[in-house]
Amino acid sequence: MVQRRRSGNWRLWVIVGAIAVAALVMTGRLVQLQIVDHEQYASQARLTHMGQETLSGRRGALLDRNGYPLAASEDTYDVMVERRAWQDPAVAAQAAAAISAVTGVAPEQMLDTVAQTQVFEVAVARGLNYEQATQVRKLGLRGARLLCSSRRVYPEGNLAAPLLGFVGQDNVGLTGLEADLDDILDGTKGSVTYERDGLGDQLALGHRHEVPSQPGADVVLTIDRYLQRLVEKELDEAIQKHQASGGSIIVIQPKTGEILAMASRPSFDLTKLDLSDESKLALFRNRAITDQYEPGSVFKLVTTAAALDLGLVSPDTWWHDEGVVRVSGWSIYNWDYSANGDQTVTQILSKSLNTGAAWLAQQVGPERFYQYVDRFGFGRPTDIGLSGEATGRVRTPENDPDNWRPVDMATNSFGQGITVTPLQMAMALATIANDGLAMKPHIVREIRSPSGRQAVEPEPLGQVISPQTARTLRQMMGVVVDGIPTYLLDVQGYRVGGKTGTANIVTEGGGYKPDAYISSFVGIAPLEEPALAILVKIDEPKDVPWGTVVAAPGFGRIVQAALAYMKVPPQEPALVSKPQ
Amino acid sequence: MATAPKTRKASALAELLRSPGLPLLLTVSALIIGLAALLSLVQSSDATSTNGDVQRLRRDLVDWQARLHELELNVASLGSLDRIEREAKERLHMTEPKETRYITVDVPAPEGRKLPSRFLPPQTEQGRSAPSLWERLFGWLPLP
Repeated sequence: MVQRRRSGNWRLWVIVGAIAVAALVMTGRLVQLQIVDHEQYASQARLTHMGQETLSGRRGALLDRNGYPLAASEDTYDVMVERRAWQDPAVAAQAAAAISAVTGVAPEQMLDTVAQTQVFEVAVARGLNYEQATQVRKLGLRGARLLCSSRRVYPEGNLAAPLLGFVGQDNVGLTGLEADLDDILDGTKGSVTYERDGLGDQLALGHRHEVPSQPGADVVLTIDRYLQRLVEKELDEAIQKHQASGGSIIVIQPKTGEILAMASRPSFDLTKLDLSDESKLALFRNRAITDQYEPGSVFKLVTTAAALDLGLVSPDTWWHDEGVVRVSGWSIYNWDYSANGDQTVTQILSKSLNTGAAWLAQQVGPERFYQYVDRFGFGRPTDIGLSGEATGRVRTPENDPDNWRPVDMATNSFGQGITVTPLQMAMALATIANDGLAMKPHIVREIRSPSGRQAVEPEPLGQVISPQTARTLRQMMGVVVDGIPTYLLDVQGYRVGGKTGTANIVTEGGGYKPDAYISSFVGIAPLEEPALAILVKIDEPKDVPWGTVVAAPGFGRIVQAALAYMKVPPQEPALVSKPQ
Repeated sequence: MATAPKTRKASALAELLRSPGLPLLLTVSALIIGLAALLSLVQSSDATSTNGDVQRLRRDLVDWQARLHELELNVASLGSLDRIEREAKERLHMTEPKETRYITVDVPAPEGRKLPSRFLPPQTEQGRSAPSLWERLFGWLPLP
């Protein structure tokens, strides 16, 4: 009996032990599932039952000075499909065909996209508009949902393309103002997390957490779309007519320093961007600020301004032109190798005498000459707020004492041996137009966001020349324009002033490119109360090099149209009637 | 001593069980409990339905905002200078002026372009809606 009872106890303990081991194994497995691998399984569960969407903050628009959008974002939708929902080929083919009927994307392409993806869900169609999105939503496809997105649109087409720049697929600005103002334009992203049902739709009483997105600010530019289009049209016509390689036109409001128009060529198509071709990358730069060139005779305005402002000469001061000026063993001739005899300072400007400009610079002296060059803003960036701005190169006795020679000042006086950007030259002109007061150039007029408005006020930089000197110089510029034949430059109803320039093109090696020139014209209108300062620069015209022939006609047409558009009244004789 | 109250309770219970009104009482009680449970169900169902409506309306709001932005850009595209010139030349057969005449007029300039409403200053609240029943009830209380 005792033996049998012991045997029975042993069997009982084996069963109990087995149960205990099984319980321990199960407990261990539970610990592994619930504690050790908790996060892994929890995230898998969340992926199945929880949905998450990123709410993109609407990117702000770039508006012209009157509120017309030049670049703005349009809300679009992407069709997202869960990989597991399209595992059945028949179901997937049917769904793809239905989406294709709305979006136009080939069903095979969508099926391939889903088949090749390794992630939970993938976009099979992008950039749907509101109508298309509504149709896709009505299809009620299992495992398919619409994700809000956006794309950049340009209501005015390619207007001001190098200035505006463009954004990448992730809506981040890559070039131009889109890149420079990215922090302002870019909205803050938000997110929404929610529990969803088997169809992927949100559960009515499920968990939902939303972090709202914030839209970016709209930026109002100083650019006027009418003037911008006008100058681009004139620039294109001049380039085509003279088979030029490119060019720039800048229009400035002298009193404020506001850039009303800034065009440069060659340019690119904003709506058909090709970032894969590296040879086209150069098209994306804004040549009005990035390219530096020898300004040529238009720089005589700076030399004359310095001499006038110091009281060394007046417009009627006489000087004898022998056709050559010798400086440190170098001979400087006029552009046409002429010797003009007795000439006034005004005639030095109107006949564009290199010898006269060199003589004026010698009267001023190197120290004061380069002081004026600096005060006009050459040799340093204008700080307009656009990236990639070149500084230009000005060699002075101070910054390069080893290489500077007196002949440098002589050649600088008529715009050679010195490089500037189109914007620097235009701003120097604007200073003359603004009675000698230099203004800081700016391209942003106002920033408008839901939280308020922030206006950019005009910023004076300092008095470069006296108001009297500026007015005198403007009258001399009027005489220059009077000497241009009317078939080349004739602005009806307004008196305008300007200066032509024809300059050689510097090569990377340091010499000049043979038979290649930059033709330019800088002008002010109207002469008495300047409303516009305009620079027209045409690169490498093939037929004639002269700024008078290549650049001045475009200036005239721009002024004629722009002043009427800006409601600047013409001189009395041009008026047909006056109000009673 | 202690058996007397117990006996009284037992007899009262037996009396209640024998009472002809017991089935009615039980039926009414069951109905009340059922209605209370149904009320909770209705309330839950109503909350679910309202939540669904809120989500749908929220999505509609986003969609309508997208539609609004799309229409704003359509307006901007229709007002582009290229299109205006094309319409003027091709549809209205207008040509560039050959002569410019300057006439001063004593008429104020037209109003500037209106901005998209989202950037206009927020409008002041014109008037509040009528107070709710609860607000009126709280209004009667002598609260500070």
